Amino acid sequence: MGQFAFANVRSRLCGNRMVILSFLFLAISIGSSVQSWAASDSMVDPAWKDYEQVSGVSGNLNSIGSDTLNNLMTLWAEGFRKEYPNVKIQIEGKGSSTAPPALIEGTAQLGPMSRQMKAKEMDKFEAKFGYKATSFPVAVDALAVYVNKDNPVKCMSMEEVDAAFSKTRRRGHSVDVNTWGKAGLDGNWKSTRVSLYGRNSASGTYGFFKKTVLKKGDYKDEVKEQPGSASVVQGVTEDRGGLGYSGIGYRTSGVRAIPLSAKSGEGCYEPTFTNASAGKYPLARFLYLYVNKAPGKPLPPLVAQFLTYVYSKAGQHIVIKDGYFPLPQTLITKKLGEM
Amino acid sequence: MPDKIKKFLSSGTLFVWFCGTAVAASLLMVGGVLLLIMINGLGFFWPHALMELTLRDGTRVLGELKGEEVIPHSETPEFPEGKTRVRLKVGNRDLYGLDFRWVDTDQIALADSPKDVAAFERREWGNFYGRIREIAKGEDVVATGNQEGWKALQPLIEWANDLHDEIEHLQRDVIGDINFDIEETRLRIRELELRAQRESPEVAELQAVTRQLEAHYQKHVATLRALSRQLDEYSVLLVETNGREKRLPVGQIVKALRPNDMGLFEKILRYFMNFWSVLSEEPREANTEGGIFPAIFGTVMMVLIMSVAVVPFGVLAAFYLREYARQGLIVRVIRIAVNNLAGVPSIVFGVFGLGFFVYAVGGTIDTLFYPEALPTPTFGTGGILWASFTLALLTVPVVIVSTEEGLSAVPREYREGSLALGATKFESMLRVILPCALPGILTGLILAVARATGEVAPLMLTGVVKLAPALPLDHHFPFLHFERKFMHLGFHIFDVGFQSPNVEAAKPMVYVTTLILVMVVIVLNLSAVAIRNHMRKKFKASAV
Repeated sequence: MGQFAFANVRSRLCGNRMVILSFLFLAISIGSSVQSWAASDSMVDPAWKDYEQVSGVSGNLNSIGSDTLNNLMTLWAEGFRKEYPNVKIQIEGKGSSTAPPALIEGTAQLGPMSRQMKAKEMDKFEAKFGYKATSFPVAVDALAVYVNKDNPVKCMSMEEVDAAFSKTRRRGHSVDVNTWGKAGLDGNWKSTRVSLYGRNSASGTYGFFKKTVLKKGDYKDEVKEQPGSASVVQGVTEDRGGLGYSGIGYRTSGVRAIPLSAKSGEGCYEPTFTNASAGKYPLARFLYLYVNKAPGKPLPPLVAQFLTYVYSKAGQHIVIKDGYFPLPQTLITKKLGEM
Repeated sequence: MPDKIKKFLSSGTLFVWFCGTAVAASLLMVGGVLLLIMINGLGFFWPHALMELTLRDGTRVLGELKGEEVIPHSETPEFPEGKTRVRLKVGNRDLYGLDFRWVDTDQIALADSPKDVAAFERREWGNFYGRIREIAKGEDVVATGNQEGWKALQPLIEWANDLHDEIEHLQRDVIGDINFDIEETRLRIRELELRAQRESPEVAELQAVTRQLEAHYQKHVATLRALSRQLDEYSVLLVETNGREKRLPVGQIVKALRPNDMGLFEKILRYFMNFWSVLSEEPREANTEGGIFPAIFGTVMMVLIMSVAVVPFGVLAAFYLREYARQGLIVRVIRIAVNNLAGVPSIVFGVFGLGFFVYAVGGTIDTLFYPEALPTPTFGTGGILWASFTLALLTVPVVIVSTEEGLSAVPREYREGSLALGATKFESMLRVILPCALPGILTGLILAVARATGEVAPLMLTGVVKLAPALPLDHHFPFLHFERKFMHLGFHIFDVGFQSPNVEAAKPMVYVTTLILVMVVIVLNLSAVAIRNHMRKKFKASAV
C-alpha cells in the first residue's frame, strides 16, 4: 500500500486504472493551504470548464446504485435539471451492489458505485452485452476514522486501526487495541474502552474498509453496525470512547477525523484534499459512475451530457459542497476524451 | 391477618390497580415520545436569537446558541462542577467547512447579541450569519453599509423570489406540459415503428408535431435563461463576523432576518410562516433543506390507494369466512393463517411485492401494453401502485379480523327477520348485515391506515425514492399516474437522519418530518373515526 494511496484502484482493469492514477498524481499541484477542507477554494482547479448547454437533450434518466453517492447524485440531478428542465432524473440509492444488475437489466442508465465492479459482476455484464461496463471516476472520497471530539489521540497507524476493529489482526499488531491506553493515551483515557462503530455488511464502505484496513480479516463481533454513514458519526458523537469509520463528507462538529499513518513510525496525514490527492492519506478512494457503452459507439446524448455536467465546473463544485474531493482537470480531460 | 390479605386479593382491587398502572404507563410512554418530538420539532421554526461572542484570542464567533454541556473530566479546584462549553450554529458552511462549532465557556471574553446582525437563508450552502457590506447591480454599487444595505435588500429579495416563482412556473408547468407531449409523441412513433408502420403518413405527421414542440421548448428555454441571468443582476457582498467577505447573487437568498431586532409578535408570525413553508415547499439541497410537500403528498396518496385496495378484499374475504363458508377445520386453518399473516415482518412483504408485483406483474404489463417504452420500464419498476398494493397485503389481515368481529356482532334477529320477510341471503347481507357491520369495517381501516402510514421497509423495495421528479397526481390524462415513483415521510426521516452528510444541520428536519408524519396519521385516523361515529349513529344496533 505505502505511498500509493489509491492502491484499491489498482486491480482488475489495470491498464486503464494506471492511466487514471498517473494522471491524478501528475495533476496534484493545487492547494497548499493547511485549512484545505474548510476553505473550499483551495480544492478548485482553475482549469475546470463551464458547462455549456447543447440542444436536443431530453428524456428520462434512471440512476440506481450506491447510497454513498446518493446525495451527490441528487445534487447533480438538481443542477442538471436547471440546465435541462425537460429531463427527468430518478435516483435510487440502496447500495453499490444494486448498480450492476440495474445496468444489465437496462432499468438504469447510470450506476453510481462507491467501489469498483467485482469480477463476477463484470462477467455477468459482459455475458449479456459482449463488452465491459465503462467506469467514470467522478469524485474522490477519503474514508475518515472518527473519534469523539474530546478524544486527544494524535494519530493512529493502520496497524492500530486494524487491531482495534479486527479480531484477526492481519496487519500484525501485537496487542488488541481495546482500550484507549493501548492507543497511547494517558490519564482517565487509559482505561476507557474503545467502542467501535461500523457500517452494515451491505455497504460498499464496509467492504472497502475490510479489504484495505483489515486486509480481508474479520471484524470484531462487538462492532456496532449502523444503517448509514451519518449514524456512525452520530454514534461516535454520543459515545466518548467511540471509534468509527465513515466518509469525510459526513464530518460534524461532534467528532474529529484523526490523522492516519500508513505504517507505524511513518508520517501521519490528515484526511485533507491535499493529502488525499498526493496519495499520502492511506484511505482515499474514487467514487464511480458506471455506464453501458458499446465500444466504438458514442454514449446516448443524455448520459453523455450528464457526465459532461458532472465533469464541469458546476459539477465539481457540487462535489465540494457535498463534502467530497473534486477531480483535477487533467483526469477530467482524459475521461471526456474516452466518451 | 392472612384472612384480610385473602379478602383483599379476592376482591380484585389489586387487579384494578395493575390495570390502571398499565394504562398509565402506556399513556406516559406515548406522551413522552410525542413531547420529545414536539420539543425538538417545534423549536425548528422559531427565529432564534444570534449571539456574537468575542473570544480571549480576539476572534469572534457569531451564531445561534444550540446548547451547553459540561466538559467530561474537567473538574478542577476552581470549577468543582467542571468547565462548560457551548455549541453554536455558525452557518457559513462554504467559509468554515462546518455548520456547528463548540466554544469553551472560559474562552469567551464577551457575549453580546447585536441588533444589526442578520441570518440569510440561502438556496445553497445553508445559512449565512453576518452583516451586509454592499449591494451592487453589475459593477455599480447601489448601497453600502449594513443599514443602507439592509433596507435595499428586502425589496430585492422579494423581487428575486417572484422571479424564482416565475421560473418554477415556466419549468414545471409550461415546459412540463411540452415535455409530456413530446414524450407521448415519441412513444406513439415508437409504437408505430414496432408495428412495422415506419413509413405510414402518421409517423411523418407526428415527427412534424415533435419538431414544433421542440421549437416551442427552445423558445421557453431562451426565456428561462434570460430570467436566470436577471437573477444574477444584483449581488450582495456579505461579511462574516471576523471580516471575511462573501459575494453572492441576491437570487441565492431565500430570506433574510434580523432575529435580534424582531418583536415577539413578529417572531410568532415568522414562526407560522416558516411552518407553512416547510409544509408547502419542495425540498432543496438533497432534501436537507426546504420543505417536504412532495413527501406529505406521496404518503397521503399512497394510503388512500391502499385503502381503496384493501377494503374490498378484506371485506369480501371476511364475509365469505363468516357468512358462507361452512365452519370447520379448513376455515379454522384459514383463520389461523390470516392471523399469522399479520405477524410476518414487513420487509418480507416488501420482497414479495418486488418479486410478484414489480417484476412478474409489472414486467408482463410492460411487455404487453408498453413495448414502445422498453427498455425503460413503465410498470416493471417500483411505483406508487405497487407500493400501495404491497401495503394492502400487509394490512389485509387487520381488515379481515375486524370485519369478522363486526359481522359476529350483528344480532341474529336481524338476519332472521330479514330472511323471514322474504329477502334472499344476498339481499339481506347487502341491505341489513353490511350496514350494521360498517363500523367494524371502518375500525379495521383505521388500524390499517395507522399501520401503513408508518411502514417504510417494504416501500423502499417497491417504489419510494429520495427525490421524485413529479407528483403522482397532475393535470395530464389519466391524472393519476400509478407507475410513478413517489416520496414518503417515513423514508424521508430515514434518508435525512441516516444518509445526509450534514447530519447535525439536518437533525431538526428529522424531528419536523416525524412530527408531520404523526400529524398526518392523526388526521387520517380522525377522519375515519368521524365517519365511523356517523355510521354508528345511523345503525345504533351494532356493538362494535
